[in-house]
Amino acid sequence: MNDENDIRLGLLLFSVCGVHFGVDAGQVTGIAAYDGEQADDLFWFHEVLEYGDAGHTYFSPTVITIRTGVGLSSRMIIDRMEDIVDFSQNDIRLFPALLEPLVIRRGLWGILLRNDCMVLLLDFKRLLKERRPGLTEGEPESGLPLL
Amino acid sequence: MSPSDEKLKSDLILDELKKRQRTKVVVDVEEERVKVVIFNCGANQFAFYGRDIREILPSCEISWVPSLPDYLPGLINVRGDIESVIDLRCFLGEEKDDGSKRLIAMAVQGDFRSGVMIESIEDVVDIPLSTIHPPLATLNGAARDLVIGEIEYGGTTISLLDVGKLAALVAL
Repeated sequence: MNDENDIRLGLLLFSVCGVHFGVDAGQVTGIAAYDGEQADDLFWFHEVLEYGDAGHTYFSPTVITIRTGVGLSSRMIIDRMEDIVDFSQNDIRLFPALLEPLVIRRGLWGILLRNDCMVLLLDFKRLLKERRPGLTEGEPESGLPLL
Repeated sequence: MSPSDEKLKSDLILDELKKRQRTKVVVDVEEERVKVVIFNCGANQFAFYGRDIREILPSCEISWVPSLPDYLPGLINVRGDIESVIDLRCFLGEEKDDGSKRLIAMAVQGDFRSGVMIESIEDVVDIPLSTIHPPLATLNGAARDLVIGEIEYGGTTISLLDVGKLAALVAL
């Protein structure tokens, strides 16, 4: 039976250093293989998400361009693009109350159980907003550092 | 004594049984008991109140989540429910390991709910409330913030940890 109130979400799935993530595919405007470029507006995913001291191995680094607002974008290097899949909001679980205030600051807002794995749902806009509290959707384009 | 005055033997027995029952109730009230779960964590034994431990889960995969402090190693899937996990060792000054062979005690108190990594269960016992002594004054570090009392078990003194205090510590 179809639920008319059900919200569908197209998620781009990828993993970085063994952790699975999903982002709203609508936030991603470009995908390209990483060619070794170094730039001020290009960030490694593990640095932005504060992976800590654990080893950071990327098997197939990929640059994604993220639309962060009207006319705004940032680029980030992720690893292992896996799939783009349509999910129902009913598939999404909340973070446990204990963790929610800690992870929401990093843009992590939900969890998806897929193939016995936990996929952490990441909102790039939220991540950026938390890092730059004054940012609004209508802000004019400028050099927009994530860090 | 006429047969009608003679107390029935069954009445005598009933009276005695009821008297014993009343006495037992009094004894039970005087000796209030609580269940405690004694477990191993690192090189030491600790205990939680049994009422705060919902279940013990076998060693299961913990999904690491970036940006969390060391005492929150990640998430577990408990029959489809996602639960957080706390590594007690970080608070008790015990040496850390990879956590792959540890049990998870599901701790619940009020709104607080989380898995707690432990090494193994030693015992689950009912003890008189009166045998729980105040925490040792010599306790220091984060352990002092978790301990609610001391109990005797197997000839040693074991710190009784409070899930409510753990919740407060983690929420800081």
